[in-house]
Formats: sequence, C-alpha cells, structure tokens
Amino acid sequence: MSITAYIPLPIAIPLIVAAFLAFTGKWVGRRACDTLAIATALGNLCLTIVILHGVWSQPYVYWFGNWWPRPGGIALGICFSIDAIGASLAVLTATLTLAGLVFSWRIFEETENHFQPLMLIFMAAMCGFSYTGDLFNLFVFFELMSVSGFALCGLKTQTPGPLQGAYNFAIVNTVGAFMVVIGVGLLYARTGALNFAQAGRSLGRTPADSLVLLAFLLIAVGYLTKAAIVPFHFWLADAHAVAPSPVCVLFSGVMVELGIYAVARVYWTIFAGSLAPNAGELREILLIMAALCAVVGALMCFAEHHLKRLLAFSTISHAGLMLAGVGLLTSKALGGFVLYVLSHGAIKGGLFLCAGIVIHRLQKIGEDHLHGRGHEMRLTAAVFILGAFGLAGILPFGTLLGESMISDAAKDFPQSWLPYVFVFAEILTAGAVLRACFRIFFGWGDPAPTDESSRIEEGPETTAQHSTTPMTMFLPAAALVLLGIAICAVPQLRTTADSAAQVFVDQPGYAGMVLDNASVAAPAKSPEESLAGSIVRSSIAGLLALALALGSVFRKRFPKLNFTRSLETGSRALRTLHSGHPGDYVAWQSLGTAAIGGLFAWFLR
Amino acid sequence: MMLNYLAYAVAAWVFLWGLYGIVTSKNLVHQVVCLAIVQTSTYVLLLAIGYKAGGTAPIFADIPVGTVVVDPLVQALMLTDVVVEGTVMALLLSMVVKANEVAGTVDPEELRILMG
Repeated sequence: MSITAYIPLPIAIPLIVAAFLAFTGKWVGRRACDTLAIATALGNLCLTIVILHGVWSQPYVYWFGNWWPRPGGIALGICFSIDAIGASLAVLTATLTLAGLVFSWRIFEETENHFQPLMLIFMAAMCGFSYTGDLFNLFVFFELMSVSGFALCGLKTQTPGPLQGAYNFAIVNTVGAFMVVIGVGLLYARTGALNFAQAGRSLGRTPADSLVLLAFLLIAVGYLTKAAIVPFHFWLADAHAVAPSPVCVLFSGVMVELGIYAVARVYWTIFAGSLAPNAGELREILLIMAALCAVVGALMCFAEHHLKRLLAFSTISHAGLMLAGVGLLTSKALGGFVLYVLSHGAIKGGLFLCAGIVIHRLQKIGEDHLHGRGHEMRLTAAVFILGAFGLAGILPFGTLLGESMISDAAKDFPQSWLPYVFVFAEILTAGAVLRACFRIFFGWGDPAPTDESSRIEEGPETTAQHSTTPMTMFLPAAALVLLGIAICAVPQLRTTADSAAQVFVDQPGYAGMVLDNASVAAPAKSPEESLAGSIVRSSIAGLLALALALGSVFRKRFPKLNFTRSLETGSRALRTLHSGHPGDYVAWQSLGTAAIGGLFAWFLR
Repeated sequence: MMLNYLAYAVAAWVFLWGLYGIVTSKNLVHQVVCLAIVQTSTYVLLLAIGYKAGGTAPIFADIPVGTVVVDPLVQALMLTDVVVEGTVMALLLSMVVKANEVAGTVDPEELRILMG
C-alpha cells in the first residue's frame, strides 16, 4: 500500500489533538490529557516509522491538494519531499516526545499550563520541518517550533528565571527568523520560486553573485541561531537551565540538530550548484565555526556546576561537531552527521531525563548543593555514567559510528585536524558529566566550587520531596540511553547512512525527483571502512575523560592535578560573555553575521 | 534608476536601526517594540520584491488576462509573516507582563538571573 495517505498525518493529528486538549483540558482532567497526549505521540512514532520504511529506498514527494507541477511546467504547489534522512529525524522527534511525555506523567502535578498541547504542537512542527520541500513552509514550521518552544521554556511563570530564559530564547531566535524571511525574500526575488528544487534549478550552476550569497548568509545564520552555533548560541544555555526537563530533551535532542539539518537541506537542494566554485572556502568557514563552537562549548561545559546548564553547554559543543559533519560538504560526512544526531539525541535525552529525576528527588540542581545527596539513586547513577560515556562516543554507542564517518571524510581535506577537535570536546563534555556524577551520586572528593549559575533556582517541577523514583521517570531515561547503544547494533548502518546522504546531496537528482517525477538513481554502495582508528581515539577520549573527572574530584589529594581547578573555574572572560542580557546576545549575533558575511565577500574577489 | 533601490535601502536601514534598538534597550517593552521594527523591514522588503511598476491588483475577475499586475505571492508571504510574528510579539509581551509581576522590573539589566 502506498504511504501517500499517511504523510500529512504526523502533522495533522497532533495539531488536532492539541487543539482539542487546549480547549477541553480543564474538563477532561489531568490523567486523560496525559493519556491522550502519550497515545498521540505513540501514534506519531508508528506513523513516522511507516513513512521512514516507505521512503527507505526511494524518496517520496507529496503535493498538497495534488498541485504537482505539470510536465515542463513549474512548481506552484507546496510539497513534502521526504527522504530517509528527513524521515529518520521525524522518528527521533516522535521518540523523544514520547519519552518526554511519559516522563512528565508525575510532574506539574498542580498546574493547568497547557503542557501537553504545547508538546504535541512542538512535535508536529518538528516533523513538518523535517519533511517539507518548500522554503516558506520550512520557515512556518520553524516559527511554529519556535513559538511552542518559547512557551514550553517559560512554562513555570511563577519564578523570574524561566521568564528570563524564555525571553532571551525568543528575542534571539526571532531575530534569526527575520533573517531567514529576508533571505527567503531575496532568493524569491532572484528565482521566483519557493520550492527547494525549483529555486535550485533556477539558480543552476551560475556562480553566486552578491545577492545569492547574501540570501544564503541570512538563511544559514537564521537556522544556525536555532542550532546554537557560536556566536549565536547564548540563548541555549539560559533556555535549558530553566526549561522543564522533558522539554530540554526535545530542545537538545532534536530542535538544535534540525537547525543544522535545515542548513544542509537548503545548501544541497538550492545553493550547492551555484556555490560549487567556492566550496573550498565555504568548507573552511564552516569548519572553523564548528571547531570554535565545539571548543567553546566544551570549555564552558566543564566550568558549569548547574547540572542542566552543564548539559546545555555539552549540547553546544556537540552541535559544533555536528556542524563539522555538514560543513565538510561531502556525502560521507553528512551520513556521519545523521548517525551522530540520532545517537546524540537519544543519549542527551536520557541525560536530561536523569537531571529531571535528580530535581524530582532532591529539589536542587547545583552540583555544590547536591554533593553526595544522590547516593541512594544507584540506577539513575548507572544511566548517567552510561550517558557520559555515550557523549565520549566509546565503543558500543552510536556516536562512535557518526564520529568515524566524519573523521574519515575529513582525511581527504586540508582540515585533517578535525578528529582532534572531536577528542577534545569528548574529553571535556564526558569529563564534566562524570565529575558531576561522582560528586552527586557517590559524594567523592570535595564539594564543587559555588558559581553564579549553580545558584539559579528554577522552582521544583514537583511539590514535595520524593524518596523513590517513579518508573515513569526512570524507564524513559534508561530506554533513551540504551537506544543510543542499540543504534550501534543495526547492521550495515554506516553504508545505509552513506547511501541516504548520497541521495541527499544529489542536487540534479533531487530536482528531477520533485519537478519531473523522476526516480532517484540508486547510490553507489561504499564498503564500510575499519572502525579501528575511531575506537582507539574514542577509548583514549573516554579514559582521559574519566581521569579528568577523577582528577578534578580528588584534586586536594594530588597537588599535581591543580590544573583541573582552573579548568573547573573556567575562563572569567568567557563566562562574562554569557551575560544573560538579551541585548548582548543580539549584538553577538549581529557581529557574527557581519563577520561571516565579510568572509563571504572573499568569495567574490 | 536610484529609485529602484530605495525600497531595499529603506528595508536595510529599518532592519539595522531595529537591531540597534534591541541591543541598547533598557526596557523590555521597548525591546519587544524594537523587534517589531525589525519585522517591519521584512514587510518593506517583500513589498519591494513584489512591486511591478504600473501593475494593478492581481485579481483577474474584472481585468483582462495579460494585464500587468503585482506579484500575488509576496502578499501571502507577508500575511503569514504578520500572523506568525503577531503570535511571537503577544507571547513576548505576556512574558514581560509576567516578569514585571514576578520580578518587579522590566529592565533587562536587573532581570539577569541566568548568567556565566
């Protein structure tokens, strides 16, 4: 049976259920709301899997209202053009939403805050975002995702922290959204098209002039703001520190990654032909941004003592690594990007849910306040440690596969230093998570230093202190981290990802598929390369992370380890930059845009 | 000739002044309004893109086929933009009202709880 009938459903059903719940939530009661929302997320998971299965070997184009382009004509309608990569991101979205909703069964006991409808809208927007084949449609789903995200972030309006986090998030992302609108407008002015394939065909292989470059710059910066790439990342730490844990799972696990996905999609369907003469320079710029982001994120991550903020900076660091997967501008690295996103999403989701369990049990989130107080939570500690090693990308985790494909692809380019950036980011982020774990769950060493951020109080998600962890909280966390391992067990996954990425980067093939109803040529199957190099690298990273964590916990006993103190305090200058002032954030965003724009001007020389 | 570019220059001008306002603002309400000003630059830009000299409204009920009309698509984009951003502004302003209730200030400098 054709999948045509299913395609609009992952967007339509959650929106309808959300509208129903928003109006009737007061009367149907909390548990009915929860059940209906969980059922909808589960339904979406099934639907997105069916769609993924349907587009596995051949991408599928769905024209709304049957407005398909007549032969030789132009695309007037709006389409979803779904390939294996977009479809798998939708599956990830549904999985994380399901985990988040199950987790929230026991939190927000007192409030009627439209949590479930907002989660469903968020899920629908992200599914639409990964399926769409139209620039303006992409923007609309982007904004739907943003607005529901802002509201979810500022859900706990009784304390000022969440309001500030949500406000900063909203201001910075909305400025990014305006840049996208202007970029789309400029591109429309040149090509007369909003459909990816049509716009790409219209630009053709004519070398990009200043208008096309400006359009690409603005669209890329807008989506990279969502992706929290340095220097557009400032909002992310504030938003994550105060958003409810199940919401953080979606923010870090899939929303940020979708920003990078959008840049990849727009580049390969529209701009690849016309930017081809400058691909070398563009690669240089993107990889420098990626490395900067990975390093800054990792340094800030190790310097944080607010558990959620720590995880947020780890997301920034990993977003840099993911951008490297896209920024190499080859299909192999893009395949690595997809595997990295899927496994990182699951692992980071699990870690945020563990942080949620800590808040549920202990009512605090600062590492210094929590020292040794989590010693009864052995299972949570186990999941937490597994997650930390998942961030390091050691052997049984899916992140290893992603890292190996990206690092292998980097060998062919002057930027062969990329694997070292991976190792650096993995050591510091995994080390920070392990350090927090040793202190909170085992009570080892001395209490963490107190810093500005560890004093942030967000108001507990649940009322009284709890002496046990409910299964509805523990199971989703454990399941997500295990999913990060299970990804590694899928046979031939790297070959599959590579084939999907080859289809993704084939611009003429994509245009033919969307506009001429042609089928996509089967990609060449590349043999899987040895994982040995990556296994060695990631094992070293994992061991060094462990050593770093132990070293910073027990530094009083070993005077030689005093360097961990400065690493844990962090750079004063770097910390001051994260000022919490939305004006400063927008200033950095503008400055970053101008700097990248300046570098783009170099293409025109 | 210069006049063709005037609208684009206005859009860039409005966009940059709006950004300047957001960066230097000392009041959250003012900051949200500056964001709305940035948004108006997108209207100017989209209008400039869709405008055709001598064109009329693109409603072919009472004009002969082949008449010069302005681009009907940009007004649809603009309308969507208005609706979407209207939602964002409403949400932002409601956050400002809440911030004033909870923290007793609308100065972004004083509301800084999250930092470092």
